[in-house]
Amino acid sequence: MISQLRGLKQVHAGRAFGLLAAIFVLILGVMVALVALDQQRVLEATARLQEETVPEIIRYQRLARNLEQLRQEGERVFAAATPQARQQAMFVVTLVASHPSVLEHKAAAELAQQVETFLGDAMRQMTAGARDSGPVYEEWQRLAERVGLMVDDVSIQGINLATNDLSYVAEAMRLARYKLTAALIVAGLFLAMFVALIRIHLIYPLQRIDRALSTLSVDRPAPEFEPSTMVEIQSVEAAIGELHASLMENEAARHALEKLANRDGLTGLINRRHFMQTADAELMRAQRYERPVTIGMADLDCFKNLNDTYGHAVGDTVLRAFAELVQEVLRQSDLVCRYGGEEFAFLFPESSLDEAQRLAERLRSRCAEYDIRIPDGRLVRVTLSMGLADASDCPIETALRRADEALYQAKRLGRNRVELAAPVEAV
Amino acid sequence: MRYCLLLLFCCSLSIAQALEVRVALSLPEGPGQVQPTVGRVAKGGLAAFNEELAREICRRLNARCTVSRMPFSEILSSVEENRFDLGFGNYLRTPERERRVDFSEPIWRSSSRLVATPATIRRFASGNGAGISLDKLRQARVACIEGTLQHAFLRSIAPAQDLELVTVASVSETLNVLRENKADFVLQPVLSSFALIGREAPGSFEYVGPPLTENGLGGTVHVAMPKGSDALRRSVNLAIAAIRADGTFHRIVRRYFPMNLD
Repeated sequence: MISQLRGLKQVHAGRAFGLLAAIFVLILGVMVALVALDQQRVLEATARLQEETVPEIIRYQRLARNLEQLRQEGERVFAAATPQARQQAMFVVTLVASHPSVLEHKAAAELAQQVETFLGDAMRQMTAGARDSGPVYEEWQRLAERVGLMVDDVSIQGINLATNDLSYVAEAMRLARYKLTAALIVAGLFLAMFVALIRIHLIYPLQRIDRALSTLSVDRPAPEFEPSTMVEIQSVEAAIGELHASLMENEAARHALEKLANRDGLTGLINRRHFMQTADAELMRAQRYERPVTIGMADLDCFKNLNDTYGHAVGDTVLRAFAELVQEVLRQSDLVCRYGGEEFAFLFPESSLDEAQRLAERLRSRCAEYDIRIPDGRLVRVTLSMGLADASDCPIETALRRADEALYQAKRLGRNRVELAAPVEAV
Repeated sequence: MRYCLLLLFCCSLSIAQALEVRVALSLPEGPGQVQPTVGRVAKGGLAAFNEELAREICRRLNARCTVSRMPFSEILSSVEENRFDLGFGNYLRTPERERRVDFSEPIWRSSSRLVATPATIRRFASGNGAGISLDKLRQARVACIEGTLQHAFLRSIAPAQDLELVTVASVSETLNVLRENKADFVLQPVLSSFALIGREAPGSFEYVGPPLTENGLGGTVHVAMPKGSDALRRSVNLAIAAIRADGTFHRIVRRYFPMNLD
């Protein structure tokens, strides 16, 4: 049955277990009904024993006793000393032979009639003064023996009645016991089957679901389940798949939001806030491990004139082009953000002031030669002024301020140049 | 079972408290007056047995018992007219009687036989050349007690078998009609004639022919009660069951008969 259930594609757990319970109740009900039938048989047999058999046994015993009395009174007819005593015995023989309890048993009635006739004749002979009663008495003994045999037969018949009924009751009880045992076995088997089915179709899937839920994460692939028969389990498993997909969508949305929050909308570079967080963390790391790190501040030269001459749209195009150039020229580990307007901030990790200066110079020179196509098709060039400051032993704000001062120094010295901030001791 | 009977019987005692029971009994088998008499009779025979049984039932009913004696033919009508509560007349149960009175559970069982003098038996046996039986009897005078089932049966077969019916009022008269040669045979219940024949000289009278139980001549004997007296009938039945259960019934039987009557 389990394999059959497995073969099914979709089964409602409630219906499946309801069906099993109904089959179980039906089979158990049939078994109980069969046992009840046996009990009914026992009750009926017991009632029959009480109402019919026992009176019948009493009837047989009464008949046996009356026949025995018939035999004894017959003996008295021969043994009586006086005619009166003989007649008294004969009357009892007549009474017994005439009694319905004897008459209702055909064989007993015939034998009793025979005894009465024989004894009547014998008594008349004795009353008439017959000399030798020996042969008659011998014949009586043979007749009395037949009566004795009938007494035994009748007694046994009566006992057999009880034996038959009791055997019937015992047989019914034995059958009831077998059926009860069978009912218990059936109940046990069904219970075992229930437990097995519940484990296979409910408990194991629930454990799988529990494991899947506890490890459900965007870092892991969507959980895969073995095909389940139960519709309810299938629904829960499908819901877990949907939940994982939702988690992935949420994660992607979160990433998108984070990007939006950290990036500058125009240039695509990281914005000032994100730069400050990241740069601060990088400075702390570098200072803890006493590693070199340099901060830079840059500004596009005469950008206001560019805006005034070509308009803000061209200004934006120039800013975007510059951002692309920066990302192309600088290392992947270097940080750069649009600090505001045409100002940009830089962080060069694992770079001393000289190394950073070389990078800045390369950027400055590339920028000065970089042709930027504006929307009307013309090409423009912009130059860059940059100030660099060592940040390996000062806070980010200090480093930025010093780099900014160096930037102004570069501006003052004619633009399109890189200036280094003086060491802290010299300030 | 016995405890249940006892319990029911105890319940019945409270119902029958201060009960007065009028009992009608048949006339004794011995010589006596034909007219009904009131009071105890000499022991012996069915009449005495019935009286003792009636008194035992009254005792079990916790009732005061008034016993009256009368011919058999009057007992049933007296009970039917509600002049008596219990009628002990060795009544076999028949549909006709059941229309008139109610009956108790059976007391004992009865069969009927012919009784005759040895001379008559010899005469009829030689005449027929075979054993005597009621169905083969022809041209005979047969006596019976008036109003009994024996009487009814004899009336039904008398014309066909050319029998002359001689009716008497009570058991005590049955042997007289044989002795006085007013009848050849008497047909009556075996137990009724037992006490009578036992008093006679040996060889005076004999039972003849087979015992008869068919055609209403045998069966169970009951106590008659007025129609509709259900409470009394239930109490009497319980009393009979109790008397049987504790062995009293058999002790009473043993005092009057040398065998069991069931």
